[in-house]
Amino acid sequence: MSDPRILRLRLNGQPLEVSVPPERILLDLLREELNLTGTKRGCDLGTCGCCTVLIDGRPTLSCLTLAHLVAGREITTIEGVTPATGLNPVQKAFVELGATQCGFCTPGFVMTAGALLREHPHPTRQQIADAVSGNLCRCTGYSKILDAITAASRGP
Amino acid sequence: MHLDPFELHRPSTVEETMALARRYSGSFDYLAGGTDLLPNYKMHLNLRPHLIALEDVQELRGHSVDRVGAMTRLGDLERDAAFLRAYPAIAEALREVATPLVRATGTVGGNLFLETRCFFFNQSYFWRQSLGFCLKAEGDRCHVVPQKEKCYATFSGDLAPALMVLDAEAEIHGPDGARRVPVTDLYDARGDGIQRTHLAPGELLVAVHFPTAARARRSAYLKLRVRPSFDFPELGVAASAIFDGETPTELAVAAGGLETYPRRFDDLTQSLVGSPLTDERILDVATRIRGAVRPVHNTFLAPDYRKKMAGVFVRRALTRVREGTAA
Repeated sequence: MSDPRILRLRLNGQPLEVSVPPERILLDLLREELNLTGTKRGCDLGTCGCCTVLIDGRPTLSCLTLAHLVAGREITTIEGVTPATGLNPVQKAFVELGATQCGFCTPGFVMTAGALLREHPHPTRQQIADAVSGNLCRCTGYSKILDAITAASRGP
Repeated sequence: MHLDPFELHRPSTVEETMALARRYSGSFDYLAGGTDLLPNYKMHLNLRPHLIALEDVQELRGHSVDRVGAMTRLGDLERDAAFLRAYPAIAEALREVATPLVRATGTVGGNLFLETRCFFFNQSYFWRQSLGFCLKAEGDRCHVVPQKEKCYATFSGDLAPALMVLDAEAEIHGPDGARRVPVTDLYDARGDGIQRTHLAPGELLVAVHFPTAARARRSAYLKLRVRPSFDFPELGVAASAIFDGETPTELAVAAGGLETYPRRFDDLTQSLVGSPLTDERILDVATRIRGAVRPVHNTFLAPDYRKKMAGVFVRRALTRVREGTAA
């Protein structure tokens, strides 16, 4: 293993300082060293979107991101968008409208959808479909996922 | 999947990058967005001990209608409304590259220098070891066209054909200085899936430049792929033209996803310049381009089908350019 170096960043609103080797992938750092296992490892090759996190607010594939290249940035994971008690509006809509089946892809969808709604608070169905086109649901429950994001955009 | 160890270098200027390229000559890869390189590294494809990350290199940043820095994220260019209006073919190509999540990280330079792809190459180490390695990684033979000389891996970038028909130029910096070359001349027609560009070792794309006349071109890009929301092109056709009434005074067609390099078909489209662009003339050129391309069986769709569709897509792209319905 190459020599670890100190990596400093902000993770879910908190400063983080951790010793990481150059080849460490952000997803592996989150799941295996920081125990933030809400971010899922699906294909591990950028195809499925299960590992989506926000980097400076932008949905990004953590499986294709070297940890050291996000030094100084703000990383937000599914844990960071989930309130201490209860669920956020997108998560609530997913539960209420049955947009989760096995649930494995859900964190990725919630991250992508949250970022979409911040940029376009009232997206069309097509805008939603385009935005989540990099997130795969192998239970194929796409209609309900689009319904849930639409519902979240309309508020409680 | 954990990556094998490497040293990560983070230069902040082109000059520093060139110094590193000289020092680690032959034993490094440039890392742009990483959406192509890192999956290949995870599959143990042609690992190098040094990665030179281009993330912080200032000269590679920024985008305008005249110039796009090589490290411009595809997703950022996609939000540049003036740029998209100026170049419909690029707007259409951008929207069809992978998914928004990949485009958030993937870069213009990375797409132009995408690793070529093949059924027998883009596989896990275990898979490749079981069959026997190929020319492109650790082996001595090609499994697609059985022989030991030439690699047939397919060039699968979407942006290159679109840039080619807009006469875009690549600004290249290397250990021996800087040069400018038309994007069309970047790729090596006499090379193969391994030796696929005219870049010398260590040379780096800094930016892509557009001549003013490119904005006068009507243009279009059409892509054939298996899953409309994700895949690499099974073929991609770009066309552009400047019209005087119904007569093109300039016209270009380029294609990628078919062979080891993307190419522009100036010798076959010359007959379309200077006469009205009729259906018959378009069909004639589409047929000739179909006859000229040589796809092999190393992607999802059969080569005969891709060849036929190359003709269909050339016809559709030129028709759209004529009707002015692009983008």
